Amino acid sequence: MRNVRSLLICLLLLLMVQPAWGGSGDWSAIVEKARGQKVYFNGWGGSDVINDYIRWAAEQVAERYGVEVIHVKVTDIGDVVGRILAEKSANRTSGGTVDLMWINGENFRAMKEQGLLPAPYTQLLPNYRLVDTDNKPTTMFDFTVPVENLEAPWGMAQLVFIYDSAKVTTPPKSMHELLAFAQKNPGRVTYPAPPNFHGTTFVKQVLLELTADPAVLAKPVSDADFSTVTAPLWDFLDKLHPLMWRGGKSFTSNASEMKTLLADGEIAISLTFNPNDASNAIASGELPDSVRTYVHEGGTIGNTHFLAVVFNSSNKEGAMVFADFLMSPEAQARKADPAIWGDPTVLAMDKLSKEQRKLFHDIKQGVATLSPAELGKVRLEPHTSWVEALEKAWISRYSK
Amino acid sequence: MNSSGRRGVVSRLRVFPLLTLTAFCIPILLGLAGTWLPAFGFLPVIGADQLSLAPFRELFSHPAYPGAMRGTLISGLGATILALACSLWITVTVYGSTLWRLLIRALSPLLAMPHAAFAIGFGFLVAPSGWLVRLVSPELTGYTIPPNWLTVKDPYGVSLTIALALKETPFLLLMCLSGLNQLDMRRTDWIGRSLGYSRVRIWTRLVLPQLYSQLRLPVLAVLAYSMSVVDVAMILGPSLPPTLSVLVDRWFNDPDVHHRLLGAAGATWLLVMTAEAIVLFIGCEWLIRHLTVGRLTDGSRTTPLDRLRWLGSVSAVGLLAISLGCLLILVIWSCTGRWPFPAPLPTDYSLRFWEKGLGLAIGPLAITFLVAALATCIGAVLVVGCLEYEVRLKQQGRRPDSQWVLWLVYLPLLVPQIAFLFGIQTAAVLLQVEGTLASMVGIHLVFVLPYIFLTLSNVYRNFDPRYIRVAVAVSGAPVRSFFQVKLPMLAKPIAFAMATGFAVSVAQYLPTMYLGAGRFMTITTETVSLAGGSDRRIVAVYALCQFLLPALVYGVAIFLPAWFFRNRKAMQN
Repeated sequence: MRNVRSLLICLLLLLMVQPAWGGSGDWSAIVEKARGQKVYFNGWGGSDVINDYIRWAAEQVAERYGVEVIHVKVTDIGDVVGRILAEKSANRTSGGTVDLMWINGENFRAMKEQGLLPAPYTQLLPNYRLVDTDNKPTTMFDFTVPVENLEAPWGMAQLVFIYDSAKVTTPPKSMHELLAFAQKNPGRVTYPAPPNFHGTTFVKQVLLELTADPAVLAKPVSDADFSTVTAPLWDFLDKLHPLMWRGGKSFTSNASEMKTLLADGEIAISLTFNPNDASNAIASGELPDSVRTYVHEGGTIGNTHFLAVVFNSSNKEGAMVFADFLMSPEAQARKADPAIWGDPTVLAMDKLSKEQRKLFHDIKQGVATLSPAELGKVRLEPHTSWVEALEKAWISRYSK
Repeated sequence: MNSSGRRGVVSRLRVFPLLTLTAFCIPILLGLAGTWLPAFGFLPVIGADQLSLAPFRELFSHPAYPGAMRGTLISGLGATILALACSLWITVTVYGSTLWRLLIRALSPLLAMPHAAFAIGFGFLVAPSGWLVRLVSPELTGYTIPPNWLTVKDPYGVSLTIALALKETPFLLLMCLSGLNQLDMRRTDWIGRSLGYSRVRIWTRLVLPQLYSQLRLPVLAVLAYSMSVVDVAMILGPSLPPTLSVLVDRWFNDPDVHHRLLGAAGATWLLVMTAEAIVLFIGCEWLIRHLTVGRLTDGSRTTPLDRLRWLGSVSAVGLLAISLGCLLILVIWSCTGRWPFPAPLPTDYSLRFWEKGLGLAIGPLAITFLVAALATCIGAVLVVGCLEYEVRLKQQGRRPDSQWVLWLVYLPLLVPQIAFLFGIQTAAVLLQVEGTLASMVGIHLVFVLPYIFLTLSNVYRNFDPRYIRVAVAVSGAPVRSFFQVKLPMLAKPIAFAMATGFAVSVAQYLPTMYLGAGRFMTITTETVSLAGGSDRRIVAVYALCQFLLPALVYGVAIFLPAWFFRNRKAMQN
């Protein structure tokens, strides 16, 4: 009953807001304007399978909408934010070098605060209406920062650990168990050094699991007593580090490096934000077939990654068309296929047509992919202000 | 040809040093200013408009600062001293032997190998899971999982130091070779031996004092480069904290824009440190000269160092073996299907990564080629023009007034790239020229030109002026004589210098990143970006592509003049 009511309210809201959005007439005008535009899409380029997928999507929009997409592969999207800022400082309000970018979290907050995003636009995209904003709160709040239609949800992520079942029989199911595991297997555990994204996430996961009252993490760090809240975290890391890979004297620089170490057997546990990553790596021959994934019992951190149009882009329409295509059931289903990329969809299955749903049901899940039930509870990211505070504290403690 | 006419040619040639200077000074000055202002807290875009020392205070109190400084100093000074010692000792002990000739032949491919590709190969070789351990495991070591060693990314930057030293040694060897061509080695050796000097003594007493002045600048360039390198340090350097240059690069790219002030302060501090290191080096050089000058004539014929002659051959063989190993391991990984530890070789092979990689790399390769070719050609014209101007001034008995210009040309080699690229980026954005072909070629030219100059200047200055005098006397046409006699006779060294310039352009990582605005993805930026990813097989394909392009150009540079002059016996050597 409640479901029906909320659906009705949603529909009602949709109807009410529709005129303000401008309706489909606006969209066809955008599609019309997009034809012939050249869109520079800046995104992390470190993964081969992702680059392949983006190339496929670019070919599709070139064919269907006459939009040329160029994937600019970057090592760190942060430097692109810097460049756009430099452009803004030079008063370049049009003809920017970046049209669309793949971001979330800290970078989104920085862009929002610095005014590097254009007027809200995702409400104009037809496929945005299919996004599961009700059950996937991270599509509305990017690391607790309100999205406010400034970026289009592209994919879901959840922290997942990877291990080789041929070498480890029972993987640790909590941070305490991880410490015990490291004590039994010294040198076989590690995580990327913050401020790497995955490294910071690991630290946040420890904090979420160990702190007395996780609720304070949802509020800005300035409202909390940082040292009290984080004391169990540092206590834990102080114990863990000497037992880690290289005695905690050297860290990996990213999750991809961890995967290589896992493949070589140097470490026993790797981590990823993509629940399908392991299946994917098995398919490409990067990891052995015996690799499996697991999550911690209390749930792991999850978030959403997005596509943001840039304020000084002269090809905003083309960028929107590409973003819309990437949110389409067709593109999302392809993306969710572990044989292609395996990035979970942002769409709500109940908003799709039968044929569209079939696209997702037909996907053959990889052996190492957990079902939604197994993935369990998603823990929300702490407020973004925690990121900087934690990174700073981590660096001053361990980066010497 | 009367003298006023000749003077006319000379004054027209004057345009070359002027053009060259403009090509350098403007970007570097703009870049330095654009970095120094934010270093002192002035970057109005982010609302910082008060000059202050706060960014420096923040830098010095940053927790990662001491460690980063330690890594920078160890790898910078260590790599330079090691490379210098290695190249000098190899030259001293191996010069003239079969091994020396082999080494000289191997120089071009060694020089062509970009730093990033070398670093990737080196990592694949010496990492705990690398080939060396795999070859002897588990039989000798008992390892079925890689040992928990710190052979790459060690906190003190030892692996980074060794890799940099190995990569810089061929460059210094080339400089030794070009310096030795200036000296009459045959007669020096003859005199020394007839006086009963041992081989090492001949070098330390008679050759090195003359040779070192030719080496000073290249050595300082190696020092400045090693202290500020970013791409190699990202691949092999310490991670916790990284070297200062990597840290600065990270700060410049931090989503929190206020880190840019900190980055600018770090970049400026790196410049100061590099200047200090250069002064320190020159000071040591002065000290050594002063301490040893009295002994130059003490008449001793032998030295205990004679007993260390084997070390030279060992270093030469080691250098060749490791470089070959780096290349080989890249080739193997690029053809690997699956290669679990500790198998000595892949358990199955596959060419699918080549199929895929080549298709993808072709675009970046084309852009790399275009930028490198343009920068190299412009650079070669400017360098030849400058040198010709200098030579003609000398012929007229006038002192070349452009000596200070020459030092300025070398400026980009002595100033850490990261110390001015941020400023250039800001300036380029202001002028709306970032991400254009012109700005890309321009910034590459800044680094390509000095290397062309360095490789070409000695040969060019020593070109026997009598050839051109005869040619002018016969034809009466100085311009035609230049193009028909001098240039063809110098074709070989010019082609080699251009190949060196080309290789330098291909290897540029930071300039491409800071000015390319993502529009110029060269094979190097793609390779370094992938090196942070995981799949060794595709990384190996890219690294090999990055190596093959300059190697090919070196091949052409050596082959083409030889083929062109196949009917000229005296030009064959």
